[in-house]
Amino acid sequence: MTLQQLFNATATDSEKAWLEQKLDAPTPATLAAFVAAPRFVSRRPMPGQPDWTMDRLARVLLLTSLPYADETAYIKAIGTLFDTAEMQELAALYAALPYLAFPEKWLFRATEAVRSNMGPVFDAIAFGNTYPAQHFTEAAWNQLVLKCIFNDKPITRITGLLDRANQTLANDVSDFAHERWAAGRTVPAEVWQLIPRFMNETLLNDVNRLANSPDERDREAAREVYEKTSFQF
Amino acid sequence: MNPSHAQEDGVTPATPVAETPVDYMAHIRGMRFFDPHIHMTSRTTDDYQAMADAGIVALIEPAFWLGQPRTGLATFKDYYSSLVGWERFRSSQFGIKHYCTIGLNSREANNEALAEEVMELLPLFAYKEGVVGIGEIGFDDQTAAEEKYYRAQLELAKEAHLPVQIHTPHRNKKEGTERSMAIALEHGIDPGMVIVDHNNEETVKSVLDKGFWAAFTIYPFTKMGNERMVAVVEQYGPERIMVNSAADWGISDPLAVPKTAALMVMRGISPEAIRLVTYQNAIDAFAQSGQITEADFTDAQPVGLDQKFNGNSILRGGQQPRRDATSILIK
Repeated sequence: MTLQQLFNATATDSEKAWLEQKLDAPTPATLAAFVAAPRFVSRRPMPGQPDWTMDRLARVLLLTSLPYADETAYIKAIGTLFDTAEMQELAALYAALPYLAFPEKWLFRATEAVRSNMGPVFDAIAFGNTYPAQHFTEAAWNQLVLKCIFNDKPITRITGLLDRANQTLANDVSDFAHERWAAGRTVPAEVWQLIPRFMNETLLNDVNRLANSPDERDREAAREVYEKTSFQF
Repeated sequence: MNPSHAQEDGVTPATPVAETPVDYMAHIRGMRFFDPHIHMTSRTTDDYQAMADAGIVALIEPAFWLGQPRTGLATFKDYYSSLVGWERFRSSQFGIKHYCTIGLNSREANNEALAEEVMELLPLFAYKEGVVGIGEIGFDDQTAAEEKYYRAQLELAKEAHLPVQIHTPHRNKKEGTERSMAIALEHGIDPGMVIVDHNNEETVKSVLDKGFWAAFTIYPFTKMGNERMVAVVEQYGPERIMVNSAADWGISDPLAVPKTAALMVMRGISPEAIRLVTYQNAIDAFAQSGQITEADFTDAQPVGLDQKFNGNSILRGGQQPRRDATSILIK
């Protein structure tokens, strides 16, 4: 289903009428509608997409309706929304990135969301969003995953997690675990799924340590790594 | 005070409050408060925690002066942006719903070149979700430039159907208050849409008589003390009166609203009157913006320790774990 169909399947008649009118409006009215959306479309969960709400879906649809024949005007209009956005608007803008024209132009903005400490903003770029996997450099990707781990957020909700796994990230995970262990803290077991393809002696030692952990989740993670890796040990 | 004199006036003599620490929390347990004026960007996480513990469930942060003048438009933009962004999130981590009012404060209205640019920026923020008014605006020195931008912002409030939060000056307060109200009426603004702030015993009667909301700031040394506040409520009743802390970067008290409520309990003000002046009236006044949903803060879950969310240690709704402030150990 397209986003528009998803909206129509769930929205009330008045919500549909409001959005339909704004999707056809000139750019300034569409931008104003982006800001005003929660006044006309309620903030209730969107069926089938736990990270989104109906007002966010309406906002993303409004963005996708903007004309992009004039690249400069398009980038400027959406840029102004970013620069003056409140928290939920920012989250909607980042959730919309996979649907915007000129995807490479949003790369810096997207990395700014990874730097954000506002939970909903970070979550909007990190979870259920195809943009990072498709456009992030390896360094930016690794920052996203590491920040997620550092903040005890679930990396399993990152789209493309295993496809974009890499040696540097696997090494970074090991470094991070060593820091945590030295501080008497723990590491979520799910991070070890990032390492089987990139095993080396250091990582092997980490896995051996996990295999002897008192936490069953660590031991299970170790078993999975042993099973999946082709590393000779 | 001479008790017999007070009794002649029909005023019950005040129960003395000990100067030594009083467990005021015992008097307000289970009560909910709304602080309609507090500058959280200047406050610490300890303040947020203490406010949540004292029963503050929602607040309004008016846009104001940062203690020194801004020199460029971009810093205004980033400030407004932080009121609807980062500060809103920071507050949510403690289970407190954060609203704000947006405006060009009176001091900085005196930099006319910059003020012109700020006026163009304001509509971009006035229509944001959770922006419950234009404020705090009004007079400081009562200059011509202050008047010009006060009037311009009244027009913006009218256009956006938003309440107005008026800052009344420290000097020539009575004159400034009267002038602020007269100008608002001149612009055809319904006094029921205007909250006149920082009232005292000298200004309150006229503000209420004209149909405006009268807010009182409990702020040590320079504004109202809470014993005086109790006397105002005894004299005028709770209608259209609200209490706030206006806590900011100065020596101020983010718990002014719950402390005042506790004092009111101790002095025998009725529970309903206390609820009105420390919670409901502020909601009624600012909900005219269409931007306050009471269920957002009445249905909120209390912030607990170590709540797991989706199996991860991130707290429900992104709330922060509690720091044990009494322990010498930092973990």
